[in-house]
Amino acid sequence: MKSNMNIFKNIYKYRELLKTSVKKEIRGKYKHSFLGVLWSFLNPLLQLLVYAFVFGTILKNPQENYVVFLCCGLIPWTFFSAALSRASFTMVENGNIIKKVYFPREILPISIVTSEAFNFIISTIIIIAFVFIYGLGITKYILFYPFVFIVQYIFSIGLSFIVSSVTVYVRDLQHLIGVALQLLFYATPIVYSTQTIPEQYRWILNINPMSYIINGYRDIFYYQTMPDLKGLFILLIAMIAFCAVGYLIFQKLQKGFAEEL
Amino acid sequence: MQENEYSIIVDNVYKTFNVYLDKANTIKEKLMFFKRNKKEKREVLKGINLKIKKGEVVALIGINGSGKSTLLKLMTKIIYPNKGRIITEGKLTSLLELGAGFHPDFSGRENIYFNASIFGLTKKEIDNRLNDIIEFSELREYIDNPVRTYSSGMFMRLAFSVAINVNADILLIDEILSVGDQHFQEKCFAKMQELKQQGKTMIFVTHSMDSVRQLCDRTVWLHQGVIRRDGPTNEVVDEYIKETT
Repeated sequence: MKSNMNIFKNIYKYRELLKTSVKKEIRGKYKHSFLGVLWSFLNPLLQLLVYAFVFGTILKNPQENYVVFLCCGLIPWTFFSAALSRASFTMVENGNIIKKVYFPREILPISIVTSEAFNFIISTIIIIAFVFIYGLGITKYILFYPFVFIVQYIFSIGLSFIVSSVTVYVRDLQHLIGVALQLLFYATPIVYSTQTIPEQYRWILNINPMSYIINGYRDIFYYQTMPDLKGLFILLIAMIAFCAVGYLIFQKLQKGFAEEL
Repeated sequence: MQENEYSIIVDNVYKTFNVYLDKANTIKEKLMFFKRNKKEKREVLKGINLKIKKGEVVALIGINGSGKSTLLKLMTKIIYPNKGRIITEGKLTSLLELGAGFHPDFSGRENIYFNASIFGLTKKEIDNRLNDIIEFSELREYIDNPVRTYSSGMFMRLAFSVAINVNADILLIDEILSVGDQHFQEKCFAKMQELKQQGKTMIFVTHSMDSVRQLCDRTVWLHQGVIRRDGPTNEVVDEYIKETT
């Protein structure tokens, strides 16, 4: 358990490094583009319109206010998938520094996930905008938004620990993750709702943490009811445990980073 | 344990590198060529035992490939030993690879912040040292220019100034007393003497026997991964010179 406490000590000590690298991630991402940070708005928005057109207009999804329904799933998903795929590259990208200087390596995946989390929080404005455009309005249940967000954040951190460290040893994982994310996209209730899935396939959604998380956001913004607090609470405990396991794997693997990169 | 007395304890450390002659990086290659994956084990350090007291200034000498730099890298925790352990006490800074993590598009000032934060300093601590760092680097009028416009000498001066001013208890220094021109080198040397007076623990890896004699009280001679001699600088260096020339 000692090494599990070390992570907090390390991060506190190197908080300035974490802060600057989060800033660098956010600023660096769109540094050379004309519209700059505006892209963190435009990207999910354009994606949303494409999906809304394909699944709403062409495939005629019967869901009422389909755009709102969709964006409650798509925007959290973008946070998740961007964090994961960028985490898989981060060690190789920073190989030069890793080989030369000591700093707690966990700073790298954490700053990736954190910068994507900032993007997500900003993108939430899109959800709120559509909620108002479609006349649904905001209810008191928005108070649970930070709770669902924290569950997702911890899940993403845990997964990024594993992905970023394993990729150093098995470079194929970078490519595999792209495909896996695409598959997972359809195994998560983003473009459809859980209820439309036949009973015999429900288990797929039930073992997928992202489906609870997205249903949580959806309860808050779309259905405007109380999210499944008991389920989310159990998920939170499970994700904290998952994150700890991820960190142990990371700690074990990081000792060889400088030699493998 | 006598943790208060020692800065660095190297306890029976072994380090082996896998040298790949033809490395299989992907699953496909690993599956297809798993027999062909030529790998050589090279034992670089074979059972090193070393205790360095607080405030000691120690030189590590030895011919190329004797394991000096590997030992320094192990102390900084960039790499880890296969066997044995290394305990360090206090804040440690390595001047192994100066300017690692410098971003060419950022200004000198921004790079000071970024580089110092890699060494584990907080914003406030960097704010307090910023003037000293700029002063020491003698880059005052260039400090807000992007680092890519610097000459290599200016680059090294800036990197050295950051590393030397982070207020570490232990400094690991690898062959960098050749930074910049004569004037700057002398200044570095004076700074080293000053840090020595302040009671910092320092470990030098160098081939310059003159600076070893001037700076270090104790010298450790590494040869083929084992400690050949460990003792007062003049004795060890004399013997080393006799043997190698």
